[in-house]
Amino acid sequence: MSRSKKTSAKPALWRLMFIAFCLFVLFGLLVSRLVVLQVVDQDRGARFLQQQGAMRSVRTAEIPAYRGLVTDRRGEPLAVSTPVVSIWANPQQLKDSVQIARLAMTLGQTPEALSERINLYSDKQFMYLARHQTPDQARAILDLGLPGVRGEREYRRFYPAGEVVSQLVGLTNVDGEGIAGIELAYNEWLRGQTGKKRYLKDLHGDAIRNIGVIEQARSGKALALSIDLRLQYLQHRVLQRAMVETGATAGAAVTLDARTGEILAMTNHPVFNPNSRDGFDYAATRNRVVTDVFEPGSTMKPLTLVAALESGEFTIDSLIDTSPGRIRVGRKVLPDPRNYGEITVSRVIEKSSQVGVTKIAQQLGHESILDVFQRFGLGEPSSIGFPGERSGVLPNRQRWSDIEKVTLAFGYGLTATPLQIAHAYAVFANKGSQVPLTLLKRSESESVANRQVISAEIADQVLEVLNRVTGSEGTAQKARVEGFQVGGKTGTVHKVGEAGYLDDQYVALFVGVAPIEDPRFVTAIVVDQPKGDNYGGGAAAAPIYSAITDGVLRLHNALPAREDESPQFVGLGGGV
Amino acid sequence: MTLRMLPASLLITALVSSLAVVYSSHVVRGLYSKQQVVEYRQWELQEDYSRLLLEHSTLASPHRVVSIAQEDLAMTSPQLSIHRVVQTQNGRQR
Repeated sequence: MSRSKKTSAKPALWRLMFIAFCLFVLFGLLVSRLVVLQVVDQDRGARFLQQQGAMRSVRTAEIPAYRGLVTDRRGEPLAVSTPVVSIWANPQQLKDSVQIARLAMTLGQTPEALSERINLYSDKQFMYLARHQTPDQARAILDLGLPGVRGEREYRRFYPAGEVVSQLVGLTNVDGEGIAGIELAYNEWLRGQTGKKRYLKDLHGDAIRNIGVIEQARSGKALALSIDLRLQYLQHRVLQRAMVETGATAGAAVTLDARTGEILAMTNHPVFNPNSRDGFDYAATRNRVVTDVFEPGSTMKPLTLVAALESGEFTIDSLIDTSPGRIRVGRKVLPDPRNYGEITVSRVIEKSSQVGVTKIAQQLGHESILDVFQRFGLGEPSSIGFPGERSGVLPNRQRWSDIEKVTLAFGYGLTATPLQIAHAYAVFANKGSQVPLTLLKRSESESVANRQVISAEIADQVLEVLNRVTGSEGTAQKARVEGFQVGGKTGTVHKVGEAGYLDDQYVALFVGVAPIEDPRFVTAIVVDQPKGDNYGGGAAAAPIYSAITDGVLRLHNALPAREDESPQFVGLGGGV
Repeated sequence: MTLRMLPASLLITALVSSLAVVYSSHVVRGLYSKQQVVEYRQWELQEDYSRLLLEHSTLASPHRVVSIAQEDLAMTSPQLSIHRVVQTQNGRQR
């Protein structure tokens, strides 16, 4: 019995040992596998497992960055970002909710439309219910406490000045990236840096706990433009009214400070409302002052005058015989409105005489005229960094026909933007030197490299002639401003159609400098296709110049000249 | 002697260090929640600020100023004939 017990126990112990050994080996395998996963093989081990875990519970969210403010030169806001909340939902959780009707009512939609949209996205995890709600609206929606409905903080751009600066300031898209104008040009500067934060989520995707900020959001920087909103508004109002009066299809106006190179106002017609994207007309977003080129026509005659004065062959009082009031160049006959007879060079510009300018151009040759155009910055970009900015072209040909040499002198055969024309005239207003243009406010201490284009004496002489253009014999009497001496030049250019110049469509121009005694402000006006008899630069564009310049001078406290009264002395103790 | 102390001192160091980890992560959590509160406050203030900015620029818009001046207050730009130029000791003013 005991023997049999002993014999039966012996194999049992052996087996026990074997089982124990096997278990030990298995345990050892598990441990070594753990060691391999945790310590040895990082890529497929610990790191992989951590990633898998994080994928199921850790989420990163963006922290929106505040987009910088765009202001005018006096700090008036032109573009403001305001916090808004975009409402989004997980359609999987929302589709069975019984409260969809209530949600639709709060959102201001019909329950049917909302259900339809939810069904459309029913296999997705994410859909926007309403973007860019004001915080109060968003609170009302989120307070319903519907499953799967959440809010996301964002910023929305508002443009307090609306259509007045619309083309200049431009637009951002719904995600807050600049897509036009200053918003696009200075996007990097304005937009700041989106931050990132990490949080833990539960099964339903709700955030349980924030883990931490990976990257702080950095606010965008503010941008002060050189624009004066008061002036911009004034220019806008004058231009819009003139567009109605002249029946023109489009128009543009720009005012510069010739001493600092700052652009003080820049307006266009047609306009659009940047705060509403309904019925949006993309053609109206064009900033014509910098994007549209055309032939500058007679507004280039003062530059031809510069070439004439520099040659030493003419003074402004040299006499030129313009009779019989027309001149033949090649196969073309260039007429004056009437026979002016023998007149001075100054009067040639005042009257905008084709015959007179032709004779001057023939004597000078086109090279010296082209050289002046080049020095005045025509044909090269104005480099204000505006998107879509164009530079126009100066003719560059091997052979010049006789007519081409002459028409160059009165502004045909080259193209320029309104801004370039104004910039060229800034030379006359700044003692012959040209300051680079800017759309940003320049501080008074900022030194800018200006370029002496012509001598101060010639600039003064041209200025005097420009002043006479607004005088009793000139073409621009409507450009006069009460109480001030101003100067400028009209231009009336045939529009170019598919088959060359159109006989009945014009572009009317005026470029002026004010005030003559202390020149500083240059304004260029372009009126595209004015209707009726008043299509010329003197009739359609000069009155706009007058109204704008009146405001410019008033806003800058320019001193009106009155002959009848000498200034009264007021003895204020400390002065004003 | 010193050799026998080593494991004990290592143990104590590990213990202290792990307690420090616990403490610092507690502090971090506290600071983070404070930051959240401050951030929310910032958000609210920004909301107010931009609303006030928009209100201000709407009320002070040239368009509104002009229409109030002309229509409600019957103001006009002064004619040149009633301008008086005065001279101060510092220069001339309009």
